[in-house]
Amino acid sequence: MPKGLSLILLLLLSLTAHAENWPAEQWPTAPAINGPALQALENYAFPPRDESTRQGIRTDALLVIRDGQLIYEHYAGSTTAETPHLTWSISKSLMATVLGVAYGEGLFKLQDPVQTFYPPLKNHPDTRMADLLHWASGIDWQEDYEYAPLKSSVVAMLYTRGHGDMAAFTAGHDRYAAPGQAFRYSSGDSNLLSAALKTIVGPKRYADYPWTALFEPLGIRHAVWETDATGTFVASSYAYLTARDLARIGLLMARDGRWGDQQLLPKDWVAFNREPFEHYRANQDEAVPGGHWWLNRAVDSAARPWPDAPADTFAALGHWGQAMYVIPSQNLVIVRYGDDRDGSYRHNELLKFVLKAFAGKVQP
Amino acid sequence: MSGFVRRRPFSSLLLILLLALLGWVWHERVALWAFPDIISAYTAKEYCSCRYVMNNDAEYCRGYVKQWLPTSGFNDDPASKRITVSGMGRSNSAAWLGERQGCRLNP
Repeated sequence: MPKGLSLILLLLLSLTAHAENWPAEQWPTAPAINGPALQALENYAFPPRDESTRQGIRTDALLVIRDGQLIYEHYAGSTTAETPHLTWSISKSLMATVLGVAYGEGLFKLQDPVQTFYPPLKNHPDTRMADLLHWASGIDWQEDYEYAPLKSSVVAMLYTRGHGDMAAFTAGHDRYAAPGQAFRYSSGDSNLLSAALKTIVGPKRYADYPWTALFEPLGIRHAVWETDATGTFVASSYAYLTARDLARIGLLMARDGRWGDQQLLPKDWVAFNREPFEHYRANQDEAVPGGHWWLNRAVDSAARPWPDAPADTFAALGHWGQAMYVIPSQNLVIVRYGDDRDGSYRHNELLKFVLKAFAGKVQP
Repeated sequence: MSGFVRRRPFSSLLLILLLALLGWVWHERVALWAFPDIISAYTAKEYCSCRYVMNNDAEYCRGYVKQWLPTSGFNDDPASKRITVSGMGRSNSAAWLGERQGCRLNP
C-alpha cells in the first residue's frame, strides 16, 4: 500500500473515532424525526390520562438516545426534564453498576462469599456475590407488592419490620435452596449487595461512593439515593434520576463500560451483567436475569421475552413501568418512566414502536 | 368427646375452625402485628419523596399515594419537610433529610 494512502486511512479511522458523540453538560441533539412511525409510538406511549381511575398506559417520560445524541424526548403528567423520577427497581441495576466500579478497583471478586463483607449473613455462609447479582441467594423471600401484603417480604422491608435495617431484615430470612442454584427475584438480595459495598469500599467512602464512582464521572448532577436508618443505600428501590441522567448510565452500558476514553467498568463486568443466569428457567419472570440486569435472550426452547427487539437488548426495569432499554446493535438507549397502576404496558410493544421510528439499520 | 361431636356437629366444626384460626394468628403474629402500619408508612414515605425529592405539587402527590385503604390525619409540614399520616389505628412519619439522601421513614 502506498504510504500516502495508509496515512489517509489512518486519518479516516481517527475521524470516525472522534465522531463518537458523548454528552457534556447537556446531551448533543440530533435533528428531530417526524412521521407516522413517531405518531404510532406517541399514540401507544401517551394516550389520554385519567387521574381518577389511573387505568391504562401512563408514561411520565420517554427519551431516546441514538448514536450518543438525544433524538427524542417527551414528558407527561407532572414530570419534566428536570424531575429526578423514582426509578424503583432500576436502582438494582444502578447498584450493580456502582459495584462494577469497585470491582474495577479490584476490591472484590464475584466468587467471594458475601459474609466476608457482611458478617450478619452468617446463616447463609456460602452465598457469593455472584449469587446475589443473579437473584439466586437461596434466601426464602416473597417479592410481591400489592397483592399479598401480609406475606410480602418487600412491603415489610420497605414500610414495616425491615425499614430500619433492610439488609439485616433480609439476612434474617430462612434458606429455601442452595445458593446459586435457583432464581427467585428478591429486593432483599439487592440490599445485601448494598450492605456488602459498605465494607468493600469502606464506611468512609461509602456515603459518597455512588456519586464519586459513577454519577460525577458521567456528569450526573442531580441524583438522589435514599438510605435506611443504618445509612445503607436502598439499592432495591430508591434511586431518583432525571430521564436524561439515567440515559447516561445506558450509554455507558451500551459502550461496554467505557465513558469517553476511560474504561469506567471493566469489560468482563459488563459481560457478566449481560450473561444469562444459567439456572434461570423460561418464564420465571418477564425477562431473563443476567448480573442484576434483564436480558432479551431465548432460554430453553422459549422465545425471547421481547420478540420484536434484537437479542442484544438488555434493560433495567422497575415497578409501575419504569424501564431503561439498551440496544447496542442499534446504538439506542431508551428511558421510559411511568406511573402504570395496571399491567397494560408492554415492553415489547414500546420497543417495537421505538425501533420502527428510530432504528438506523434493518433489524436482524 | 365423640359423643359431643355426634350431638353437636356444627358447634364442633366451628370450634375446630376457631382453633385453626387461632393457630394461624399465632403463626403469623409478627406479620399481623406489623400489617396495620403499612398504609400510613407507605403514604408518609412515598408522599415525602413525591413532594420533596421529585418536586411534584402537593395535589399531585396526594393522588399519587392514594391506595384502597383509607388514611386519616394527614399532615405535611413544609417548613421541616416532615409528613405524618395515620391509618388503621397506627401513625407513621417520614422526613426529608437532604439533597442526596432524600426522604426516610422515621423509626
